[in-house]
Amino acid sequence: MTEKKKTIPEEPCHPVYSLQRILALLMFFLLFIPTANPARVCDLVNKNLSLLTSAISWTGLTSDVGRGFRAGWVSESSFRLIMAGSIVMLLGICVIAVGACMSFGNNKLKRSSFLFSLAGPFITVAGEALLVLSSSRIVEFARANGKLDRVYSGTLNGFLVGKSFVPYPSGRMILFAAIGALLLILTIITLIGTPAPEKGEKAQMESRYSLFLMFLPFALLTFIFCYLPLWGWRYSFFDYQSGQTLSKESFVGFKWFKFLFENEATRNDIFRVMKNTLAMSFLGIITSWVPLAFAVFLNEIPSKRFKRFVQTATTIPNFISWILVYAVAFAIFSTDGFINSVFGGNTNYLMSSSHMWLKMLLWGTWKGVGWSAIIYIAGIAGIDRQLYEAATVDGAGRFQRIWHVTIPGLVPTYMVMLLMAVAGMLSNGLDQYLVFSNHANATDMEVLDLYVYNLGIKGGSIPLSTVISMTKSLVSIALLFMANSISKLVRKESII
Amino acid sequence: MADQVKQTKPRIKTETRRKIISGGDLAFYAVDHLFFLVFTITCLFPFYYLLINTISDSESVSKGIVNFFPRGINLQNYIALKNVNALGSAALVSVLRTIIGTAVMVAASAFVGYLVTKEEMWHRKFFYRFLVITMYFNAGLIPWYMNMSMLGLTNHFAAYIIPGIVAPYNIILVKTYIESIPKELEESAFIDGASFFTVFRKIIWPLSKPILATIAIFGAVGHWNSFQDSLILMSDAPNLYTLQHRLYIYLTQTSDLKNIINDPNSPSAAAMAANPKLIKYTISMISVIPILLVYPFMQRYFEEGIMLGAVKG
Repeated sequence: MTEKKKTIPEEPCHPVYSLQRILALLMFFLLFIPTANPARVCDLVNKNLSLLTSAISWTGLTSDVGRGFRAGWVSESSFRLIMAGSIVMLLGICVIAVGACMSFGNNKLKRSSFLFSLAGPFITVAGEALLVLSSSRIVEFARANGKLDRVYSGTLNGFLVGKSFVPYPSGRMILFAAIGALLLILTIITLIGTPAPEKGEKAQMESRYSLFLMFLPFALLTFIFCYLPLWGWRYSFFDYQSGQTLSKESFVGFKWFKFLFENEATRNDIFRVMKNTLAMSFLGIITSWVPLAFAVFLNEIPSKRFKRFVQTATTIPNFISWILVYAVAFAIFSTDGFINSVFGGNTNYLMSSSHMWLKMLLWGTWKGVGWSAIIYIAGIAGIDRQLYEAATVDGAGRFQRIWHVTIPGLVPTYMVMLLMAVAGMLSNGLDQYLVFSNHANATDMEVLDLYVYNLGIKGGSIPLSTVISMTKSLVSIALLFMANSISKLVRKESII
Repeated sequence: MADQVKQTKPRIKTETRRKIISGGDLAFYAVDHLFFLVFTITCLFPFYYLLINTISDSESVSKGIVNFFPRGINLQNYIALKNVNALGSAALVSVLRTIIGTAVMVAASAFVGYLVTKEEMWHRKFFYRFLVITMYFNAGLIPWYMNMSMLGLTNHFAAYIIPGIVAPYNIILVKTYIESIPKELEESAFIDGASFFTVFRKIIWPLSKPILATIAIFGAVGHWNSFQDSLILMSDAPNLYTLQHRLYIYLTQTSDLKNIINDPNSPSAAAMAANPKLIKYTISMISVIPILLVYPFMQRYFEEGIMLGAVKG
């Protein structure tokens, strides 16, 4: 009897539902984008604030208004209204999201999902209404105090009619409302198309979809923290200073890419920094056999206890941070440290600028060799004992056994480690070089990661440092793929 | 099997006992032992040196005579730390982020690790790759920072916790481990009518405890040592600095450290202010101690730990 009514099949992946979910997802992501923040009803709201932040963080929302509150030309209640509006919008978007998730279920569950999908857009628009109201109140209040120019630097978002202000919704609000309206239409279509559930049918969902929905929050987190930063690469194409917003006017194309090579000071910096980076990496690669040798010779020690003790002690430095490594260095090598008080003298070895690369290499080895050796120690344990016995029977001495049995057994692991080191050639890490650098040795210490930190975070040149960050990431990925294809070619096995 | 082991053991022992140690071997052993002994000492001595200096009386330390043995053992320096500004809040932040961050990460890794073993999940392959691929690229420091500030996570404690919830490495470890658990266990539970969550709670969680302990320990050490996020994200919120960040500030402060001590009139604080390097040493010790305390537990998980670097998706 439901044959005719069934215009939309129960299949949860029907295009109408998919469209609905994509719109819901879009709305969800708009929550994080400051440019699309409808809560920015006047210039006093921080330009880098997303709708989500305005809904959950009062300090974030009012970060730029402190002076206005104190001077009394902005009323706190109107900002409370902005926050209330943001919260209502957030709630509406959550309701929409819940509806979109429930639409994965059977007809019965879909029926209940319509309730959410219908209510959501209305709640969202209600939140927008609160925001519009707050904008009118802010303007009226500021006008009464003669500070209207502080609230709107450009054009007013509405008309002044006598004493009262009639605002119109901003483009950002219209965007949200439009998506809401589209969702509403889609919901009504599906509502009409979905047949009434059979009597006694229980609301349920196929396990493949419920598993997916359980996974979804984690996928979103991954997206927000690992994929969304890629969106930040756009800063490399703009003239950006912190606190500003990106606009068409500030778009400069490849200016900063050219600047990198045309500006002599920057170019010299880059050459110097690349020299340090590659030198550190090559020194690391050249000495990459050290953990292997460490493992091999530790294995030659007959006493299990001594072996265990050495292994325990030499792994400790791996688990302390670079700051603590520096603290250790400070205790031993500073002016009144161990070396000076034993041998007498007054040199602060940490302030000297000689042989910095070698010193950094040694600190890296001190910290990491014990830990890196563990993988080889495990590798040696996995080598067939019979090979050693056979070699002994054949008259092989200790070093011949090491050379012909142990080493060949470890080479595959070593190759993987080596290739990973090549792939990570540009990433020396920030911590070590940051903590050990001081005004005396900074020139030889600045590796790429530290340079980006100094330039972008300390110096505030966001676009230029983004260019470098971005180039570094792309080159690193290329190196990784290269290392991987070499591994595939030689070992018939990929490393990633 | 057990009998075999018992039989072979004595044989090997007698063999080694019977082996005649030649002069060359002796030299080799001597050099080998010496090398490892020296290297082990270089790894341990700095911590020992910090310890003896912090527990000796500050006068001897000032004279520079505390080099190998402590003199006049007391805990004055540790007691005086309560007078160091901002140290308490930094320690609290570090402890909180370590506990909360690790707990959340372990729970999420266990749950997601179990989810991705479910082959019937909608587009499982795609989403699993979506997760794992993030280990091999990152957008770079500045885009990351801009993203965090866009999300409103700068100068906020949540910045220590939320980004660490999904840890792809750990998820892979848990997934691999769960796949080694016999499928029949959960299947029979499902047949008996258990729900997904019941199976997770009653079967998967208890059985995968070894791997969860591993990622918990390594995760906790990572949180405790973490420094970059505090340095970069908390620039306007000094009360949210981690202990490592505070230590970094104190270590690199070249001007005198007297101004970080409040209540300079108390005798312990005065003694400490007289010898600022002791403040640095003692705070360093405070930061090392938790690592040394969990270290014996960690060792049990080294074998799994190396997998952290070697596993494949």
